[in-house]
Amino acid sequence: MNDGVALGELLAQPFMQRALIGGLLTGALGGLLGSFAVLRQLSFFSDALGHSALLGITLGILLGLNPTLVLIPFAVLFALVVSRLVEHSRLPTDALLNIIYSSSLAIAVVALSFVRSYKGGIHQLLFGDILGISWLDLGLIVGLLLTAAAYLGLTRRDQILLTLDEPLAIARGVAVPLHRLLFIVLLAVVVAISIKAVGVLLISAFVVIPACASRLVSRHFDGYVVLAAALGAICAVLGLLLSGRFDLPSGPCVVIFQLVGFLVALAVAAPRNQMNTSSRG
Amino acid sequence: MAEMVLEVRGLTVRREGVTAVENVSFALAAESDTALVGPNGAGKSTLVQALLGILPHQSGQVQVLGRPMGPQGQLPASVRAQLAYLPQTFTVRNRCPLSVADFVGLGWDPPGLQLPWHGSERRRQAVRQALAKTGCSDLADQLISELSGGQTKRVLLSFCVVRPRRLLVLDEAQAGLDSQAAEQFYGLLFDLRRSEGWTILQVSHDLEMVRRTCDGVLCLNRSLRCSGPPDHALSPAQLERVYGRGYVPYHHHHR
Repeated sequence: MNDGVALGELLAQPFMQRALIGGLLTGALGGLLGSFAVLRQLSFFSDALGHSALLGITLGILLGLNPTLVLIPFAVLFALVVSRLVEHSRLPTDALLNIIYSSSLAIAVVALSFVRSYKGGIHQLLFGDILGISWLDLGLIVGLLLTAAAYLGLTRRDQILLTLDEPLAIARGVAVPLHRLLFIVLLAVVVAISIKAVGVLLISAFVVIPACASRLVSRHFDGYVVLAAALGAICAVLGLLLSGRFDLPSGPCVVIFQLVGFLVALAVAAPRNQMNTSSRG
Repeated sequence: MAEMVLEVRGLTVRREGVTAVENVSFALAAESDTALVGPNGAGKSTLVQALLGILPHQSGQVQVLGRPMGPQGQLPASVRAQLAYLPQTFTVRNRCPLSVADFVGLGWDPPGLQLPWHGSERRRQAVRQALAKTGCSDLADQLISELSGGQTKRVLLSFCVVRPRRLLVLDEAQAGLDSQAAEQFYGLLFDLRRSEGWTILQVSHDLEMVRRTCDGVLCLNRSLRCSGPPDHALSPAQLERVYGRGYVPYHHHHR
């Protein structure tokens, strides 16, 4: 076990400051998008996107380009093709997504084993290495967070109606196909950009766990979205501090704090749910 | 001559590669209450969804308030705002932390880009009035996931009444309601139709209720088999044409 580094010393390091800002923003972004993705039953879709991201990274390495910049168009294209496939397939969605994500992960790992020049470890790709976050990554995350907040805020009512019931939303005149497409693109870009911090295997936790925890304790939609984003941000910061202090992989540390948050929400929600059930029954 | 709120000519709709509705023509006069009946799989929900633009149509013409609908269901926003839809099921609500008042408010807002705080006071007032009209004022702060089946239907009516509408389309509104709740719901619908001046098109399996409350009936089994006032369209001979031989009518046992 690593004896650890003093916290003050750690916080004084520029790479740690970048990591904390990146974690805070990535966590908030995951919670924000996740609050809609969970209600729209896109949790498994985000998982499939995360796993397939390794294929995009591999492609970037093979082409000798910045993997993050290759990953964004790859993830968007991948998300659009997969969502089209899911819409038109007669197979159950979860089975289809399973085939897609396990196949892309397998192809990527085999392809990576042939790349002799690849300096980064597969461990970092799988579980995240937020300490390696660059100013370019930070700029992208800030831009994405602002874009996502503006888009979801300005179309808030359409988004809620679409989340509730698609036919009802179409009958009201909401541009459902356009919003569905934009949300999928946004989710794909968020997954692509967050991969460095969280890793391929745990990216869906960033999207799903804070939103689920928030759902358990929320009674207002806006409060639900804000709490999911706040939980995502707080858990990311706490997880990164743990990661930096004891030299542990960043992604799993953040997810452990998310799990703690979820368990607390579960404990808080349990008596209330019991009360609601008995008053209805 | 009465104003036509909805006019359908030669409408054909395909669903998953199969022609579900074929060459259907009819018109709804303003403030009429028309039932769409037929056996399961007759294409009733498909027809309703095509009329609302939820499904595209392959041929024929649909005019809502005198304005033509595009093949993909496109309608001008001003016409769309005067349509309301009450779906058969409303399942996603169970996962959404949304209060009744917030949900009804979504029926007030026109779709599109809007600042989150835009029109909040006028919306609150419209929501209060809509909830009062449907007897749902006491449910305002409740989550929609906490409502019973009957309460959900009344809240959906509040969603429709929160803004003036001309055409209300209901897809099996009685589904999931016991006889008492169904009776209350139709009583409320009848009152609102009169006070709001709604034209109603409703899919129904409850022929007794249709006989008692509707002005007109459309009998569908892929194509329109008969139409007219309930006494004519629901006669045993006509019902046999729609449902086939050996048809046993469904009774809801209203008090």
